[in-house]
Amino acid sequence: MLELIQGQRLPLSSITTSSSVEVTFDIQGSLALDLACFGLDAQGELSDDRYMVFFNQPESPCQSVRLVSPTTFGLSLAEVPPSIDKLVFTAAIDGQGTLRQLGASRFRIGDAGLSRAACTFAGETFAQERAIMLVEFYRKDGVWRLNAVLQGFNEGLDALVCHFGGAVAEDAAAPAPAVGHVSLEKKVAAAAPQLVSLAKKAQVSLEKARLTDVHARVGLILDGSGSMHNQYKRGRVQEVVNRLLPLAVHFDNDGQLDCWAFGDLPQQLGSVNLQNFHDFIDTDHGGWRKWELGSRINTEYRVIEQAIEFYRRSRSSTPVYILFVSDGGIYDSRRIIKLISEAAKLPIFWQFVGLAGSNYGILEKLDDMSNREVDNCNFFALDDLHDLDEETLYDRLMEEFPGWLRAAKAKGIVA
Amino acid sequence: MAVSLSKGGNVSLSKEAPGLTAVNVGLGWDARVTDGAAFDLDASVFVLGENDKVLNDQAFVFYNNKKSACGNVEHQGDNRSGEGSGDDELVSVSLASLGAEARKLVFAVTIHEAAARNQSFGQVNKAYIRVMNKAGGTELARFDLSEDASTETAMIFGELYRHGEEWKFKAIGQGFAGGLAPLAANFGVNLA
Repeated sequence: MLELIQGQRLPLSSITTSSSVEVTFDIQGSLALDLACFGLDAQGELSDDRYMVFFNQPESPCQSVRLVSPTTFGLSLAEVPPSIDKLVFTAAIDGQGTLRQLGASRFRIGDAGLSRAACTFAGETFAQERAIMLVEFYRKDGVWRLNAVLQGFNEGLDALVCHFGGAVAEDAAAPAPAVGHVSLEKKVAAAAPQLVSLAKKAQVSLEKARLTDVHARVGLILDGSGSMHNQYKRGRVQEVVNRLLPLAVHFDNDGQLDCWAFGDLPQQLGSVNLQNFHDFIDTDHGGWRKWELGSRINTEYRVIEQAIEFYRRSRSSTPVYILFVSDGGIYDSRRIIKLISEAAKLPIFWQFVGLAGSNYGILEKLDDMSNREVDNCNFFALDDLHDLDEETLYDRLMEEFPGWLRAAKAKGIVA
Repeated sequence: MAVSLSKGGNVSLSKEAPGLTAVNVGLGWDARVTDGAAFDLDASVFVLGENDKVLNDQAFVFYNNKKSACGNVEHQGDNRSGEGSGDDELVSVSLASLGAEARKLVFAVTIHEAAARNQSFGQVNKAYIRVMNKAGGTELARFDLSEDASTETAMIFGELYRHGEEWKFKAIGQGFAGGLAPLAANFGVNLA
């Protein structure tokens, strides 16, 4: 059996050739430890809560990660979806104490009931930590590798969850407004320095609209009909993505922009983030020319339905800000009116922007519809994206969203 | 466009940047995010002669000796200039002025007090070495270190060496047990 030491990294293939692996924790001492496995994305974040496997949620989707006994996890590594880049096994103290009090413990990795590798650790490995990462499996160059991490956080499980990009409920209350400011610029500066000046301008608009403390998801719906061809070719649509992304990064913990395109048919695209935004339009799902949108005509209602369904399924009362970009030529106004009116009871705000077109039809009128729970949309038109400077654009995009937020909160639509 | 090397790979800097006279070599790694003793990593350069030993004791350039005797190799310490931003440590090398006896420059990184702090390279994320043209700052070569020497506490990241009339850079990524002192001794430095 292979003995591992703290910090050691090695390909899993040097331990076992099986993709069905067991990870067992033999914990000694009087500490009550909660074990968990976090399935993280390529950014090291828990973007899908279903991949936190622990006693309350003993299985991930498609059972690729399972808690098979209180101290043993079973992994089917071949079944782990590509979106999960890393599996981190953690232990957190439930109650008082620090990991300094841990007895002589170890974790074992094996297959078919046999231990192939083990790593011992004990109190002296740690100091004041209350939550630790024990071992992680991660993908690199197409293979699974292993790291005996054995490091952690004095602040316990909360710090661990923050480390994985999550928000801890108690801590969400009233952060100082300045915090948002620093974090938006910092986040953007670190990952996408070319967006820093946009981020600064977005920040100013958010402060003016008193939105710095707001959490929201941000969605983008793009008209992919034939008449938009020139806007795509000239890079204007990519510019829309670039300009919207700082807002998504600000509002959203995971900094993702959910994205759809539509012609006759809707297609949900990948999520835009600071890592992939710069050529998103040209590369996602084979690039905009290859998107599967059916005939390149306008059928708005299908994509609206798809987006509503997507956010409804998340069962979250976090507000959603959707930017809907179209050059007009609207089809089936009655269905759109019905969908948007009914969606007024959902935590979704619709910002329609007309781009370089005419004949915006019903989109212009939705703004002033009556018979809704709340006014859940706004519209403005631009002949060219460059007609508005970036500051003014952000101001316009944030014009009615704060009013909707207040109204939706008053009605209990938004948490 | 910088050449991204894998372990053992090499590139001719003279071909990448004709007329190259000086380079900046940047080394970097992610800071520790968990609680515990910080990772204190130090970069060192060994200027070697034909026999793979240092030319003299001043040809071991590190935090206590920031400049080689000839003045052509200079450790900039913590990179506070903002130049080549993102690098944790930066070393400037005037290739054109280096005497012909200098055949090879070995760049190594060691973990300070690794044993006492129970640290090794396996705990350090995203370590890299990159070579930039000093004139203009263009990145010429880059090596993101593989993770194979994870239990080591000293590591040779890469080397600059003469090949005929050219200067080349090679990605090494080789661990070295024991830390800075044995590494220096290996290259013939007389340690006090």
